[in-house]
Amino acid sequence: MTEPHPTPGISKNEFVQRLQSALGKSQRTPVQPYQKLQESLDELVKRARELQEHLQHIRSKLLDALSDLAPKRGWKFFRTRNTEEAIDYIVALCKQKDVESVVRSDEEVLQSLPVDQPLLLAGARVTVIAKSSGFSQQDWRKTAANAGLGITGADFAIAETATVVAIPRKGLSRLVSLVPPIHLAIVRPQDVVERLEDVFLLRRLAYKNGGDVPNYMNFITGPSRTGDIEQTIIVGVHGPKEVHMLLLG
Amino acid sequence: MSEIKTQEFKKASREAMANPKLQARLQQVMGHFDNARRDAIEEITPERWEELRTQARQIKRHTIENLDYYIELVHERVTANGGVVHFARDAHEANAIVADIVQRNGVKLAAKSKSMVSEEMGLNRVLADMGVEAVETDLGEYIIQLAEETPFHIIAPAMHKSRQEVSELFSTRLGTPNTDRIEELAAQARTALREKFLRADMGITGANFVVAETGTLVIVTNEGNGRMCTSAPKIHVSLTGMEKIVPSLEDLAIFLRLLPRAATGQHITSYVSFVSGPRRPGDEDGPEEFHLILVDNGRLKMLQDPELREALYCIRCGACLNICPIYRNVGGHAYGWVYPGPIGAVVTPNLVGLPKAKDLPFASSLCGACRDVCPIKINIPHMLLHLRHKLSESESEDERKAAFEDVFFAKAFAFLMSSPWILSAAHKLGRIVQWPFEHDGKIQRIPVPPFSVWTKSKDLTALPPKSFHDIWEQQLSKEQQ
Repeated sequence: MTEPHPTPGISKNEFVQRLQSALGKSQRTPVQPYQKLQESLDELVKRARELQEHLQHIRSKLLDALSDLAPKRGWKFFRTRNTEEAIDYIVALCKQKDVESVVRSDEEVLQSLPVDQPLLLAGARVTVIAKSSGFSQQDWRKTAANAGLGITGADFAIAETATVVAIPRKGLSRLVSLVPPIHLAIVRPQDVVERLEDVFLLRRLAYKNGGDVPNYMNFITGPSRTGDIEQTIIVGVHGPKEVHMLLLG
Repeated sequence: MSEIKTQEFKKASREAMANPKLQARLQQVMGHFDNARRDAIEEITPERWEELRTQARQIKRHTIENLDYYIELVHERVTANGGVVHFARDAHEANAIVADIVQRNGVKLAAKSKSMVSEEMGLNRVLADMGVEAVETDLGEYIIQLAEETPFHIIAPAMHKSRQEVSELFSTRLGTPNTDRIEELAAQARTALREKFLRADMGITGANFVVAETGTLVIVTNEGNGRMCTSAPKIHVSLTGMEKIVPSLEDLAIFLRLLPRAATGQHITSYVSFVSGPRRPGDEDGPEEFHLILVDNGRLKMLQDPELREALYCIRCGACLNICPIYRNVGGHAYGWVYPGPIGAVVTPNLVGLPKAKDLPFASSLCGACRDVCPIKINIPHMLLHLRHKLSESESEDERKAAFEDVFFAKAFAFLMSSPWILSAAHKLGRIVQWPFEHDGKIQRIPVPPFSVWTKSKDLTALPPKSFHDIWEQQLSKEQQ
């Protein structure tokens, strides 16, 4: 019997029942449950703790690996422990590219890296794309679209693939790392992980823990690319043409 | 559904093979992806690649065997994240769901990121009829949308177009200046589409994977249009085949290692986007509504048949297209519908109906190269044979009629081989019948259809004066004397 359904399409129950019948299954749950989905919160916590210990142990090797791979994956890479050097790098970049307008996120790492004043002195106006800055969302789009550079932090950096992981939330807009032609991501050593699985484990843990878990995440590896015309690689199609990774340590 | 031209496969492939421009293009381009794939596999070592393939197949097998459970889990988790999950049995229902969302929100402009399911549905036509401008934002899809063509390849829809053709197309449709520099063409597209992204009321995407555990959609792109479509518009609608599910977030690590390498030889794409739901109250931006539409549209048929079930493991990398001797010679358009190449030959008949697509299971020499390159080890030749079998032994009269010729020849062969006398008589009769056509031991042309196909592109060897049986008998009798 078809269940009456107010909007187009059919009900979940009907759809799923069709599948169960097609498979000839007598029960819904898998006969052999999937091991990963059986993991309890405690088990995930334990694995995550072991992961962090492991990462701490190999941290300096990881940072070297990331430094080595990032340029090969399309990043312009700069490494320094010195905050002044880091700020100088950003200012020099703006001067070199004639950037007059910069947008940035409101992440923690940017609080320990005060770039706004130096950039203003160098002729680049900085707008923080966050509700906390008092700007309206309509203005954001225009500002981001006209900006020459977007600066964000990085929630993680994956050494295996030289990937920056951005998790938009309060203080981090989706557009800052996407709309301007240049994106600069500031990576802290403690956020560098080894493999893709590491990020996924930590996100699984966050999810299982519950609470306010973000609904969006981006892996960014190099500039925006296409090979759609004559299989020739072109950068800077819809996303940034140039991406910089600044490793603070 | 979008227009189906699978019935014209034979004619279309003949035309493709006789088209010098297309042949030149195919020769130029076809090796490219495949070489890149090989290099990528060399780099992580073939042993590691095999490991990944085995793991991926295990995961897909478990998921498809329990698809009912996982679909239910996806629904539960996405709903808990604040998204809405819809279910469509066919293209018609899927279009109705999108139309409903469009109407309720007064959508006028939609920015589309690549979605093959939307091609199955013929969604762009439906939206156009409703007065909605639906713009393809993937550069390849944008090009073919402007050209009013269908995709040529799963990964590179406009690979058959030269830069000059693209330039002329942009010039005519966008009023941009002609150029033979590809960077400029990309820049022209970027400018034209940037405005659409930021103005669009709705973003429509596909999905490469759907993670059941966390209710997360995964979109793998290089250009950034996937990110734009899931960030800028107020509403995000994702259309996906019901088979794209993986159980856990950690499973993605394996697939993200396989997909980019198998498709284009990349280690990872520029972007991988993970969408679990709409924006939350504290977020700075993001869509206010997230809709996930799970589409059947004939996949149930493959699920039901244990021999065809593994066709649902496909992650749409295109590796089988790049290696297939048929695809490499006729290109994507000849297949007549959304999915070309070896996987297309399996999937299309199930989605549009076997009688309509009866030539596709035969568009194969069964060389098995597709099975060898498939990252999920899908046994495509086995399924093509199964489909051929289904055609000739089908319960449906329509399907049986479609296989008439093949059944006839199979039965004729069985009759000939059923006794040495019949075979011998046939040989003697054949010697007489072939006499007007034989020349120097070869038959160049049989003017009578359907036998004429046998001499269309090669010469047949004529039946010799003595059959092996005759010679054997004569030798034997000589030796006995």
